[in-house]
Amino acid sequence: MHSCKQIRGVLTLIVLVLSLAFSSRTFAAVAIPDVDPADAAMVDKAKKGMELYKANCTACHAVDRKVVGPALAGTWDRWENEAKLVAWVQNSSKLIASGDPYANKIFNEYNKSVMQSFPQLTAEQIIDMFIYIKAKDAGVALPFEAPAPGAAAAGAPAAATNEGDATWYIWALVGFLVVLAGLLWGVTSKLDKAVKESEGQVVEEVSIDKKIFNKKTLKVLLLIGSILLVFNIFNGAIDLGRSQGYAPDQPIKFSHALHVGQNQIECQYCHSGVEKSKHAGIPGTQICMNCHKYVQQGPKYGKDEIAKIYDYAGWNPDKQQFERAPKNIEWVKIHNLPDHVYFNHAQHVKVGGIDCQTCHGKVGEYEVMKQFAPLSMGWCINCHRQTEVKFADNNYYSVFQKYHDELKKGTKGKVTVEDIGGTECQKCHY
Amino acid sequence: MSNKKYWSSLEELNETPAYKEQAAKEFNYEVDTNEPEGEGTNRRDFLKAMGFSVSVAALATACKIPTHKAIPYTMDLRKQVPEVTPGVADYFASTFCDGTDFVSVLVKTREGRPIKIEGNSDAPLTLGGTNAKAQASVLSLYDVTRLATPTVKGKKASWSKTDAEITDKLAAIAAEGGKIALVTGSLSSVVTKKAIDAFVAKYPTTTVVSYDAISKYAVRKANQVSLGAAIIPTVHFDKAEVIVGFNADFLGTDVSSTENTKKYIANRVPTKANPKMSRHHQFQSTMTITGASADYRYPIKPSEEKQALINLLSKVGGSISGVAALSGKDANEGIDKVAAELLANKGKSVVVSGTNDVDVQLLVNAINGVLGNYGSVIDTANTYNLKTGNDESLATLANDLKNGAYKGIILLGANPVYNTPYGDIFKDAIKKATLSVSTADRPDESAQFCQYVAPDSHYLESWDIIQPKTGVYGFVQPAIVTLFETRQAAESLFNWAGNTTPIAQIVQNESAAITGAGYQSAVQAGFYGTPGAAGGASANVAASVAAVSSASTAPKGLEVLFYEKVGIGDGTFANNPFLQEMPNPVSKVTWDNYVCVPYSYAKTLGLSENDIQPADKNVPIAKVTMNGKSIELPLVVQFGQAANTIAIALGYGREKAGRAGDLVGKNAYPFLKAGNGATSYRTDGATLELTGKKYELGLNQTYHTLMEDNNLPMRPKRFRSAIVKETTLADFQKNDHSGNEDREHIKEHFSKSLYDGYKPNDYKQGHHWGMTVDLNACIGCGACVVSCNIENNVPVVGKRQVYRSQEMHWMRIDRYYNGNPDNPDVAFQPMMCQHCDNAPCENVCPVNATNHSSEGLNQMAYNRCIGTRYCANNCPYKVRRFNWLDYQGVDSFGKFNDGAMTFNDTEAQSYMFEDLTRMVLNPDVVTRSRGVIEKCSFCVQRIQEGKLTAKKEGRPLKDGDIKTACQTACPTNAIVFGDQNNKEGVVAQTFDQSGRNYFVLEEQHFLSSVGYQVKVRNKTEEPANYFIHKPGI
Repeated sequence: MHSCKQIRGVLTLIVLVLSLAFSSRTFAAVAIPDVDPADAAMVDKAKKGMELYKANCTACHAVDRKVVGPALAGTWDRWENEAKLVAWVQNSSKLIASGDPYANKIFNEYNKSVMQSFPQLTAEQIIDMFIYIKAKDAGVALPFEAPAPGAAAAGAPAAATNEGDATWYIWALVGFLVVLAGLLWGVTSKLDKAVKESEGQVVEEVSIDKKIFNKKTLKVLLLIGSILLVFNIFNGAIDLGRSQGYAPDQPIKFSHALHVGQNQIECQYCHSGVEKSKHAGIPGTQICMNCHKYVQQGPKYGKDEIAKIYDYAGWNPDKQQFERAPKNIEWVKIHNLPDHVYFNHAQHVKVGGIDCQTCHGKVGEYEVMKQFAPLSMGWCINCHRQTEVKFADNNYYSVFQKYHDELKKGTKGKVTVEDIGGTECQKCHY
Repeated sequence: MSNKKYWSSLEELNETPAYKEQAAKEFNYEVDTNEPEGEGTNRRDFLKAMGFSVSVAALATACKIPTHKAIPYTMDLRKQVPEVTPGVADYFASTFCDGTDFVSVLVKTREGRPIKIEGNSDAPLTLGGTNAKAQASVLSLYDVTRLATPTVKGKKASWSKTDAEITDKLAAIAAEGGKIALVTGSLSSVVTKKAIDAFVAKYPTTTVVSYDAISKYAVRKANQVSLGAAIIPTVHFDKAEVIVGFNADFLGTDVSSTENTKKYIANRVPTKANPKMSRHHQFQSTMTITGASADYRYPIKPSEEKQALINLLSKVGGSISGVAALSGKDANEGIDKVAAELLANKGKSVVVSGTNDVDVQLLVNAINGVLGNYGSVIDTANTYNLKTGNDESLATLANDLKNGAYKGIILLGANPVYNTPYGDIFKDAIKKATLSVSTADRPDESAQFCQYVAPDSHYLESWDIIQPKTGVYGFVQPAIVTLFETRQAAESLFNWAGNTTPIAQIVQNESAAITGAGYQSAVQAGFYGTPGAAGGASANVAASVAAVSSASTAPKGLEVLFYEKVGIGDGTFANNPFLQEMPNPVSKVTWDNYVCVPYSYAKTLGLSENDIQPADKNVPIAKVTMNGKSIELPLVVQFGQAANTIAIALGYGREKAGRAGDLVGKNAYPFLKAGNGATSYRTDGATLELTGKKYELGLNQTYHTLMEDNNLPMRPKRFRSAIVKETTLADFQKNDHSGNEDREHIKEHFSKSLYDGYKPNDYKQGHHWGMTVDLNACIGCGACVVSCNIENNVPVVGKRQVYRSQEMHWMRIDRYYNGNPDNPDVAFQPMMCQHCDNAPCENVCPVNATNHSSEGLNQMAYNRCIGTRYCANNCPYKVRRFNWLDYQGVDSFGKFNDGAMTFNDTEAQSYMFEDLTRMVLNPDVVTRSRGVIEKCSFCVQRIQEGKLTAKKEGRPLKDGDIKTACQTACPTNAIVFGDQNNKEGVVAQTFDQSGRNYFVLEEQHFLSSVGYQVKVRNKTEEPANYFIHKPGI
């Protein structure tokens, strides 16, 4: 039955086409394009998206897992169309009120906590963010992103351990030399004795303890002791007022390990001044409350510590509203530079591109915040000597024509901060 | 080549031995290092004590780290709060107006605190210029003397109680038809005017009296006759080719002087491309900065001014009788010369007088009318709303008060007990009144007797609209919430009139009539409107001349002129230590008023040269008796003071101003008297006698001397180029290197080197900072000095320390005289660290605390300095300052807040010890402790900030991105900072191309980075060289 087969084939085809068309209509996802690292326009979109994502979303969302809000990977599949997704991000309450089933579903799933509205974001910007998120989810290596955050940070502690190792070698060497000196001393004294005996002299046998504990050794020991003492006092004096490792108790047991390490909130979300100002800034309760209006319980301290925030912020969690003016949280300042030092975060982070971790350590692992770096002048100067200036990327440095020429010719490998005057007094003291 | 001798003091002119000895020293004050035997601490004890204390300190600090708090910027989410990024400055446009001058300003705030005033360069009148008072005004905000709450009979009270009691009493007075006097200063504020209207509407028995402590009422009165309207016209100094001033201080203290300065300087700086400038003649009795800027200056007695104007009017073709010769030969010749020039520049010239005398102003109007200067230079279409006071109504009020005509007295920011000639009358009347209210911000001379003080807010805490001039409005917005429980005076008036609308709303409502819907943008810009085109009617010459009284002006004996100083003004800001410590531009005296006497007169008093201006600053005290009352003041020889006249500044001798202003100088207001329809600021028949006592004067010009001449015994005679170079316009037009010829020789000299291969840093890349200072543009006003002080946390040290020559100013304006001591030429030279690329200070520092940066800055690391002061000793420009005492209160930090220490407990009687006053400190600049040297840093914090902004934006630095504090304050753009490596920039172009550019002490090869521009005087002939200095080259 040739014709029958044909009909069946045609029918199958029709059903297939129809079902495809149907499915694509009913289960249509938001079309988020993939990023090809070679496509400059797409990469640019992704970059813009990254900036927006980091500035706006990371406090409550992560790409691959649920934080305050759901994981963002796959959002494009979950939403019906682009318009709804955009509407949700811009103002979720409005969408919920419109009776959209999926919007209401998420709303209920997340205990009816309202997602912050972002009316300032345009549809294009929102899609840009998802382009970035999708690329991240797919593991696309984006050219504008640092190889891996914390790579530089890993370098710094490693250097410190290497230094530690080096001192151990020195101690071992010193120990070896002491043993060697002792042995040689034994040998020479035996030889000395033998020589004297061979010359017929009567050599009095001196007991070993008398040999060691005589006046001469005492004097030598005293000398060594006083040198060590002076050395110690001197070093101690230099360290006066320094407080590396300082980790005081804070009014609220805020955990960077939880917020940065586990929830992957960007540093800049809270320390928003870091690229604009000399101060990175400590967030006021208004920043805390962005998330903690909804996050009312923590994994370690339960409701206790978060209740403190509510107290400072003047927030009534039962009525879900601010009832009085906020109080200031008097954090204990950890990083104390002397008054005569001028330090500017924007210079280092925005211009120099230094990772936060370089000076603050692996903050994502700190349960209690502490001072990672010694913050001594030697430490500053050392970094200024070694760090390369981002010469090529910043037009400001065009005034250093000589260096540009030398770099081009290859007579200069790199331009360090010191080369452009970064170790001069009035770069930091004025 | 200029071969004139410039001198800053008489000793220098005469080269007295004392001067030579003193000029050779860096520090004027001797430190007695020889402790008497057996007393005090000897070296060994000192070392023991030090060793002990160091170890104790080490132990103490080692055991405990002081805890600091980090307090975030917390926002109340229930309100709309502006976003603040801690560490980044915000600027708010506002307006400074003291009734005399009007300055559009930008208020720099950090973390919500106003810390600096900058000029608003978009604003129509002042174009970014500022004056010293506006610069210093930010410190007045943090004045500890300000009242924190209203007071009722001297006791703190709440606003509700105060308001209730005041309105009750007002109602009672109104009910029985009692009269109320509302006394106020100049009414330039649109809002205050409305408030007064509302108040008068509610209490119709109110008489409003507006007066100015230093009045210009005669101008308005004369214009009522000449123009038919009591106005003060705009004078377009930029359009005048010939400017003739008669005792007019239009650059310093007259109406809208900042605006005048901008206009004046527009036609005063010749360039090679446009080698022309206006000519400025000045007839005056004492020396002011306006007189100092003049090309020709003629001393006349105050009483002769009318005669001089009659003569001038007659010469320019006006018909007037009574021409008679003046006493001075120069002045008579001057009138002839000026008349000829005025006639040659009809319609392009102006005659102005600052004298508050109706006859004088009528004659000035007649002369300008004859010359046809109205409509072009004198603009009667755009008139000032400043100095609105009425002397006659003040005199009438005083008379009525004496008769007890007023039941209620309300002082709206006025202080008549202090600053009127009727102080005692006001005092009695206030004491007797049923209701007496003052809105003073402190319990001042008048407010102390008032039953109620309703303290006004500082202008940086206020909303207001000021109309300085036809068509121009200045908007005032708060840069901080009220620090105390104060309330704007206008709001108080509205309140008492029954209108309790908040002032912000009232201002917005009032704005509607002015700006329409543009309120937001007007507040943001700080101003609204632009002045209209010049024009208006001309003066009626015949009517003006006819109105001049025929009263003879024959003076008797010694004449006295009461004048106003640039810094202190009428005394309102007397409690601002920055203004007290700003040296008077002409006399260079701080913290005092004094009797200015002419050189010739001082000689007749039998004073020796050393008595007249002693190197040890102990000046004689003179007793001046006028109209039966006498005053004892230090005697200061003022070169250029007219013969047989003396001058005394007003605005001093406050008794209730506060810690800084109290009992500084003597009050001369009681000596004023009502003149011919306007308060007279001169008197005659005075006697002056020496008391035989001496006075320690806070003078600061006679030391820190740049040694121009070979007058030091130990120096070999060698070539010295002049410190101040000058030329005449005629010579400059022939040769733009005129006056600067020796520079070619110097340049050639240093083009050869013994060390061929040696190359110091050539600044071939990066930045090389430099500055140009135009001596022609500098009028010596002192705005830069105050601006520098505030920007760089330069401490105020007080009179005693200035007397000991230990003031801390990083920049000073050197004032040099040239020529005849009775009428010298004056030059101002701003002097600050020259950032020498071959700096003598750097190589003597034993600890390398001062060294050179790759950007050409002479760096000073305070924390490295051990206080040897070798650098200061080796600085040829004498610009390094040593912290002899703990001026910043580092040692006493915090102790002032709880009263554990008071002002008098410290030797360094600083004015910045309380937390409140410390709020003005610039957080980007460290405060220096005792025992270290400090000096001008070229505002390195601004350089770093400018560079960082460029880096953040990823662009090259542009010329003008970085402006130093002195540059932004300058009303004449005399100071320009920039990168010498930026060949397009102003600094590089001036250094490379201007024939007027020279470096001070260039022949010493210090390779200074500050270029000065030769001063060009618009003179036809060189003045007689009073003293010849021959360069021995």
